[in-house]
Amino acid sequence: MLSGIVNAMKRYTITFSSITIAMKAQSVFRSEGIRTEIIRTPRNLASGCGYSLVYDGDLETAMYILENRGIKFKSVMENII
Amino acid sequence: MINFDNSATTFPKPAAVKKALLTAVTRYGGNPGRSGHKLSIDTAEAVFKARSAAAEFLGAEPDNTVFAQNCTHALNMALKGTAEKGCHIIISSLEHNAVARPVHALCKQGVCTYSVAEVNCDDGRTVENFRRLITPQTKIIACTLGSNVTGQIIPFTKIAKLCRENGICFIADGAQACGVIPIKLSDGINILCTAGHKALYGPAGTGLLVTDGKYKISPIMEGGTGSLSMELDQPDFLPDGLESGTINTCGAIALGAGISFVKKLGIDKIYCHENKLCKKFISAIEPLKNITVYRDKRVKNYLPVVSFNINGISANETAGRLSDMGFALRGGLHCSGLAHISIGTVPDGTVRFSPSVFNTESEVDALIYAVKTITEKTYADTCCNRY
Repeated sequence: MLSGIVNAMKRYTITFSSITIAMKAQSVFRSEGIRTEIIRTPRNLASGCGYSLVYDGDLETAMYILENRGIKFKSVMENII
Repeated sequence: MINFDNSATTFPKPAAVKKALLTAVTRYGGNPGRSGHKLSIDTAEAVFKARSAAAEFLGAEPDNTVFAQNCTHALNMALKGTAEKGCHIIISSLEHNAVARPVHALCKQGVCTYSVAEVNCDDGRTVENFRRLITPQTKIIACTLGSNVTGQIIPFTKIAKLCRENGICFIADGAQACGVIPIKLSDGINILCTAGHKALYGPAGTGLLVTDGKYKISPIMEGGTGSLSMELDQPDFLPDGLESGTINTCGAIALGAGISFVKKLGIDKIYCHENKLCKKFISAIEPLKNITVYRDKRVKNYLPVVSFNINGISANETAGRLSDMGFALRGGLHCSGLAHISIGTVPDGTVRFSPSVFNTESEVDALIYAVKTITEKTYADTCCNRY
């Protein structure tokens, strides 16, 4: 039970300012073999419109990939699945 | 009707474009970037796929690739969005009104001054003509990559170098060149505008603006973008900043299919085919009495566009007679008054032959026969009138 909590997969919601930038990020993740899902940005994460990627995995890897491709994100929210 | 007016818009379109249009109309009915439901996301994905195809084709990032209504719209965004009060702009003597009119309008509004660089048959002289006009206020050089009247290809990589050396924004009109010769932003172009419905084989109502992001492009139109909706300021990021209102989703998706068609076939192969048809046409009509072909043997490179006239009858009359015989060719000024001043064909203009990848040698043979028939009849009529 304890080890189950320690190894829990982390889920992140990464917000972007537009659908195009979110899809560009999704395309880059896909090319790295990482599956993501596009959602409308939840209201608690942004006041205006926007799109987010739901990403399961290591945040450092995600940040490295985005930074490497010069893709700007707005914020990241962490959830435990 | 055999279409040799493909510089105006290509027709027929590839089967893949027709299929993509039908799929878009029947399946991608959502508004991309406006909602989170499946219909909207699926449509956004299809649009993004087309945007990525266009970006890859022209050497841009997908988010620096903006869908426009046509090349004129894209050029207006580029010119009016980058011109600053007091700046000086240089255009070429072969410009289409898509460049010449917005620049002239900016000048009339007191935003800029502008000069026209003469395009010479010698590329070195052309570049020198641009260089001579540069002043400390010159912020933009805007020119066509290839004339829609004569087909002459401008030495754009050399002009790009000139721009780079002088900190000038290079805005290129690729309406006739993109899809026929290889063009990428890496050629040194800062903002490249092109039509979607010409040599990229997309439907009418499509155009593209791609940028390397070096120069900020202020929007000429503000509105809903599906992003930052609580802010009254227009988003300062692309493509949203320049894509207010719902875009032409069906057109964009079909344009993506057109670009894939060109890419699959290969630009070299397309150019080779169309150039071969032009050479066949020129070699058959040039020796005829009473024909003028507007090509200069000293010019190194031409796009597959040929302007000609049958002496004694106007360009529109010739085009009209050819239409009656089943051939679509454009006669007149082709929205390029400056170019016609340059080649001395004002006010009647020229008849323009512009094949696409779908035209065949036998169609060109039929056209040659038609031109010969008109020429002979005109010559005979002239002789009758004389005596």
